Amino acid sequence: MTAGAREMNAALARVALDRDRAAFAALFTHFAPRVKAYLLRLGAPSALAEDLAQEALLNLWRKAHLFDPAKASAATWLFTIARNLRIDAIRREKRPELDPEDFLPPDTRDADERLALADDEDCLRAALKDLPADQIQVVELAFFADKPHSQIAQELGIPLGTVKSRLRLAMGRLKRAMGGAA
Amino acid sequence: MIRHHPSEELLLAYAGGAADEASSLIVAVHMAYCETCRIRSAQLEAIGGTLLQDLAPAPLASDALERTLSRLDQAAPFERRPRAMARDGTPDVLRPYIGGDLSTVRWRRMGPELAYVPLFRRGPVAARLLRGAPGAQSGPHSHHGLEYTLVLQGGFRDVTGSYGPGDLQVMEGDMHHNPIADPGEDCINLAVTTGRLKFERWAQKIVAPFFGF
Repeated sequence: MTAGAREMNAALARVALDRDRAAFAALFTHFAPRVKAYLLRLGAPSALAEDLAQEALLNLWRKAHLFDPAKASAATWLFTIARNLRIDAIRREKRPELDPEDFLPPDTRDADERLALADDEDCLRAALKDLPADQIQVVELAFFADKPHSQIAQELGIPLGTVKSRLRLAMGRLKRAMGGAA
Repeated sequence: MIRHHPSEELLLAYAGGAADEASSLIVAVHMAYCETCRIRSAQLEAIGGTLLQDLAPAPLASDALERTLSRLDQAAPFERRPRAMARDGTPDVLRPYIGGDLSTVRWRRMGPELAYVPLFRRGPVAARLLRGAPGAQSGPHSHHGLEYTLVLQGGFRDVTGSYGPGDLQVMEGDMHHNPIADPGEDCINLAVTTGRLKFERWAQKIVAPFFGF
């Protein structure tokens, strides 16, 4: 994990434990402008993106005690908060969100498959940087465009099969970088 | 043991936030049964987190931090909902949509062996519960659009394979099938369709629209 990411995780832990306002301010300064950029990329009007970015950080304050650094980095956790806020506020739909405790039968999965995801983010970033431009483009659209693959294909002017194969190639490489078998 | 999982494309739409509510519900309920897909989904979210981290920051209003700090005292800590505890095998994530337990939903009959509960509809997309008695057949049909079927209880089989609790079947377009509920107990499924079903028997062609299929 980079020093910056470690610092953000530590700040989040201080918010959770001590309701530390200085740590919150550091998280806000780092993440709120990125959340706003994310919402702008998805087509939110500027004033709404500003409001929702503040709202996302307020949610971080309210939910900090639920953050589990073994499962995700602060950036990934904030991504999920921003994603859900956007669906709620802009698409006016609910997002059915699984509670980590909501788990029915014992699974037969290999214990090895459990990944320390937060530690893999450096490898992930490196793998993202190494992707060919046409693959990065479809990966970004999968996260920053509120559209099905068919529409992405239409807008890029390439066949749907090409979008899918680029995504498949990119996902394969990213998952290998995270050490996942899936 | 889960044998049939969501495709990479569907899981990516869920994790990335592009999936609509009905297909998100299918994925979330599947993940209530499937830890493998929770891990797959967490991996995809980590890609989202990395992309977010690497975005060029968009400047906020100069008083944004100050305004947010002033709201912290009024922001109550978020309480996790207490688990309803799935005594009857109802995933918590499904409860708000069916108004409680699977064992207490009010079924509407469609003939002697089949029953359904409409959950919600958004344009052409409809989510419902379907119940078949042991050995029941839905009748041969194909689809306008996609049909997602997630088994909640019991099981069924058709030309594509056999499905038990947590398994997801995705049928598209002109794929024909005639699912048959397994013997033993009622088969209960969460079904999402993005278009009307095309039944092949004339009697079903006539009645299906009355039930909203």
